[in-house]
Amino acid sequence: MSLTTATSQQNPILDVRDLRVEFDTYGGVVKAVRGVNFAVAPGKTLAIVGESGCGKSVTVQSLMGLIPTPPGRITSGSVKFQGREILGLAPKDANQIRGKEIGMIFQDPMTSLNPTMTVGKQIVETLRYHENITPEEGRKRAIELLEQVQIPEPASRVDAYPFQFSGGMRQRVMIAMAIACNPKLLIADEPTTALDVTVQAQILNLMKRLQRERGMSIILITHDLGVVAQMADDVAVMYAGQVVEYGSVDSIFFHSSHPYTLGLRSAMPGHEESKKGEPKKKLKPIEGSPPDLFHPPKGCGYAARCPYAMKACAEHMPPLWELESGHGSRCWLHHEAASQQAPAELFRGKMISPQALGAR
Amino acid sequence: MNPQAILEIRDLKKHFEVGKGKTLKAVDGIQLTIKENEIVGLVGESGCGKSTLGRTLVGLYDKTSGEVIYRGNRMPTRFTASDFKRYSREIQMIFQDPYSSLNPRMTIREIIAEGPMIHGLWTRDQVDEKVGFWLKRVGLHPDHMSRYPHEFSGGQRQRIGIARALALEPKLVVCDEPISALDVSVQAQVVNLLGELKETLGLTLLFIAHDLSMVRFVSDRMAVMYLGQMVELGPSDEVYFRPRHPYTQSLVASNPEADPKRERERNRKPLQGEIPSPINLKPGCRFAGRCPKAISACQTIDPVWREIEPGHFAACHGFDPQHQTGFQAQ
Amino acid sequence: MSLPTATSETSIPTRHTSEKGRTVMRSFFDDSEKVLESLDGLTSEHFSPLVSEKGKLGLSRPSLSYWKDAWRRLKKNRQAIVSLYIVVGLVLFTLAGPLVWTKDASLQTLGRISEAPSLASKQVKVLPELTPYQPLFAEGFPAEPAKRVYPEDLPAPAGFRLLSDASTQAVRLSWSPVTGATGYRIYRGTYAPLEGSLGLPIATLDGGHAISVQDLYSLTPGTLHYAIVALSGDEESPKFASLEVKLEETLALSAALKIDPKAEAGQTLSMPVHPLGTDYLGRDLLARLMKGARISLFIGFVAPFFSLLIGVLIGGISGYFGGKVDAWIMRFTDFVLALPFLLFMILFKVAFGAGPGEDGIGPMLIAMVALSWTGPARLTRGQILQLRESEFVQASRLLGAKPMYLIIRHLLPNTLGVILVSLTFAIPSAIFTEAFLSFIGMGVVPPTPSWGSMCNDGIQIFLTHPHEFIFPALLISITVLAFNLLGDGLRDALDPKMRSVS
Repeated sequence: MSLTTATSQQNPILDVRDLRVEFDTYGGVVKAVRGVNFAVAPGKTLAIVGESGCGKSVTVQSLMGLIPTPPGRITSGSVKFQGREILGLAPKDANQIRGKEIGMIFQDPMTSLNPTMTVGKQIVETLRYHENITPEEGRKRAIELLEQVQIPEPASRVDAYPFQFSGGMRQRVMIAMAIACNPKLLIADEPTTALDVTVQAQILNLMKRLQRERGMSIILITHDLGVVAQMADDVAVMYAGQVVEYGSVDSIFFHSSHPYTLGLRSAMPGHEESKKGEPKKKLKPIEGSPPDLFHPPKGCGYAARCPYAMKACAEHMPPLWELESGHGSRCWLHHEAASQQAPAELFRGKMISPQALGAR
Repeated sequence: MNPQAILEIRDLKKHFEVGKGKTLKAVDGIQLTIKENEIVGLVGESGCGKSTLGRTLVGLYDKTSGEVIYRGNRMPTRFTASDFKRYSREIQMIFQDPYSSLNPRMTIREIIAEGPMIHGLWTRDQVDEKVGFWLKRVGLHPDHMSRYPHEFSGGQRQRIGIARALALEPKLVVCDEPISALDVSVQAQVVNLLGELKETLGLTLLFIAHDLSMVRFVSDRMAVMYLGQMVELGPSDEVYFRPRHPYTQSLVASNPEADPKRERERNRKPLQGEIPSPINLKPGCRFAGRCPKAISACQTIDPVWREIEPGHFAACHGFDPQHQTGFQAQ
Repeated sequence: MSLPTATSETSIPTRHTSEKGRTVMRSFFDDSEKVLESLDGLTSEHFSPLVSEKGKLGLSRPSLSYWKDAWRRLKKNRQAIVSLYIVVGLVLFTLAGPLVWTKDASLQTLGRISEAPSLASKQVKVLPELTPYQPLFAEGFPAEPAKRVYPEDLPAPAGFRLLSDASTQAVRLSWSPVTGATGYRIYRGTYAPLEGSLGLPIATLDGGHAISVQDLYSLTPGTLHYAIVALSGDEESPKFASLEVKLEETLALSAALKIDPKAEAGQTLSMPVHPLGTDYLGRDLLARLMKGARISLFIGFVAPFFSLLIGVLIGGISGYFGGKVDAWIMRFTDFVLALPFLLFMILFKVAFGAGPGEDGIGPMLIAMVALSWTGPARLTRGQILQLRESEFVQASRLLGAKPMYLIIRHLLPNTLGVILVSLTFAIPSAIFTEAFLSFIGMGVVPPTPSWGSMCNDGIQIFLTHPHEFIFPALLISITVLAFNLLGDGLRDALDPKMRSVS
């Protein structure tokens, strides 16, 4: 059984194992992704959360084969899409999957659309590359797609240029392009970070609706825990090139089992009204900065900032513990000898000790 | 004039000419009173004019009309260098982008000491000691003063920016999106620091940001802006949990919370449409085009800024007894 | 590297149950062995809290100023460093070269024109001055024969010999007179004369009693074949006498004294070496290139320097003040930009003219500066405009800084990088412009050497003596390339994206 959550027992549509990616730079070799494992259940949304530099963008870009291979290198790992290995595919085969089976939308809608082509043309381009249709049919499909993503007056807007759209509208166009060939998986790399919060709500709503209608899986990359709470079924928390915690959205939020996840949640302002007369609660930030990925630490990448770090953490890379079905955490605190160190809030509610799992 | 008020903004307007007779009314009639030692938050989406307001307040932009009164003194419409010199010891600003708000050619020591040296407050011998003091105050090590900005991370640079602003010991600090460019975990560091400094130094802060949750958390009172005008103002929790203006209601409804259960239970109906262009606006309420509760009066008559509850203001026809018919007030 | 292929075995991550009965989930490609070991080797001691300096900022690397950081980055760029060496080498070549290679660049040695480059020094015999030539006549021999003889009956002259030592200065021949001849004709060729092909006629002598001839025509070291036939009237006798003469490189004493004042006749003198050959007037190419380098590099540095000075000033004022000032200055700049460069060069040349004896550098400099300050002006203006709005300048304004302080402390230092790069690109441009202008004759006035004018001279005999064109052209190319690469390297090194934190 791979790391899927208890919310779905079907075979995962995407299964990523031990993905490692490096880059050659002026200053040396950056180990951007250092062993990432996750899976996406069909029709569900996986959110990959992390801060800048944690490797989330590099991870999904290597899934799509978008990492330029002179400076970049996938040194190991397996990525199975619908059971079929897609890493290291020949460009011809990769092109069949990219755009058709897996669609992708990017962060900045300003720079992700070709400013010299009408949006209709760009959508039709994708359609005609993957399917054998005439330009007239393509145009009809493009108008339909624009309507689906709720662009007003699609019949006339299909001939407009990207600069004639606002940010939110451009993002909708991107979504239209990405879903044009009915992909089974949509990868969205921080799709709403550059948008206002009201527009973000519209876009996220749209994505959820499209997912329901088409049974599409979504990988959503974000740094905003609110967006995760709103959209995700499963969550993978990344730090310093690794997935440090993985599970359903409820387990991540209510049974956080990694100090980093806990730290992220404590660093965000809560949503409770403060009682009158009570002094204002303080945020609990995570001190320090992320580690240098030119020389990643020998042990746990979070050890330098973790308030519960132990000697073992600095020396040895913690293994991936499975806590309950589908909830995993990469932390030494789950070792039985470390139970005294583990803080109470780390395993809020029901904690399943690794020993109990042995009985399964 | 309110004796406790440190800053009073009356009908402040800042318009930009964008050629061919078109006017961009970035700030169009703002009224706000900031009391001493409070934190007022200012939220709004892109194009609402909050950053422009901040810069106009401190004098970086000239005012088109309106008044800003600091401690009883009317601030000049257009600032000369000597005006800046005079006000720089009272009002300071923390900027948004940690990567461009520090001169890459200057050491941290020079950056922090710049203000006091211009004013002749520190002697040469005092510089190291004073700079070290401020660095420690913002949570950095005094040894860092010989280094250059590019050697620091975003969060650290923001702290240096705070130290620079505070070195002149101002009373009012305008924070122009100080955390937007930082990672979540670092945002908390900076926010905590600001809160702590406000307590120990008795500062007054105007906290401008677009992250609704953070602004609510940080500020005592919160103001919401839309297309150059203020639509609501009140105690932060009141504005966030019991918003009165339809725009604020939509804003709060769109704001995702880090709680999956509550998110599922939420009835989400996102706001339709997009923010219209701020150039050549029509009369009437600016939010009328998207407002789910708009009535015919909203299209033609400008709403009036009125106090709905003690200390809680909003500009909406929904609270105007004249237009109550056909309007469901909350 | 090959990626692991998926097999049914590897699709399931293994569960490892260690000795203590713990269950650990491992993905297949984890460091399985290491994890196994470490798991079993861990004691409770390992789980005691880690006391570390968390949150301390590990700025262990020494602090670098902007310029030091840029220099460090420049050093890593191999192309740029090689170019830097080349540029330094060129400067040395220009300044120190003439001190080492002391040949006079304007000395014309007409006997050695267009010599190919060679490092070998020729050994030349010094001959005493040539005695004046007196044609000899056979005594008692009639100029006109008494009886006309048919040309076929005339024998070849006997005793065809050298009159004196043959040298490249002169070849003097003599023979015995032929009875019945009315005159003689002497041929010369590089091959042995054959019936019907005797060579080139070099002299026709009247009078049967003439018995000597002097050949001064284009004597180069080598083997020459002379032939002589007797004439009867205008017709030649078919019988000819031939003589092979080997000529060595020799030098007259007067010329030798110019090279070595202590030369004496009979000595063997070492001829001065011209490692790069000589040009069409016998001037040493290397010395000439050095002198030309001075001119070319002088213009190449001075013109950009002044055009940059003016440009930065104008652009800075325009950018800082903005508004109407900016608008007017930019319109003026557009106007200057629109002027056709070549036309103006010619105009300047005509207006300021270069009379005889002047070198034409002045007018060229003025023209180049007057027409090329627009680039730096626009660049500076753009930088200043951008910087003016940047947050650190605003912050400084807010701290109470005066405009002058802002300019000097904040705006200028951040523009220096751009200015420096602009300078490094303007230099090769100026060198090339000057070379081009000199090449078409609109630049320096001969005999002032410049690389461009030397190319112009050299191209005319490129097909026979390519070295005269190749060397100056090569130098221009290398200089321009080196400066361009250096400029590229500098631009990359001075890029604001600096070393990241860690």
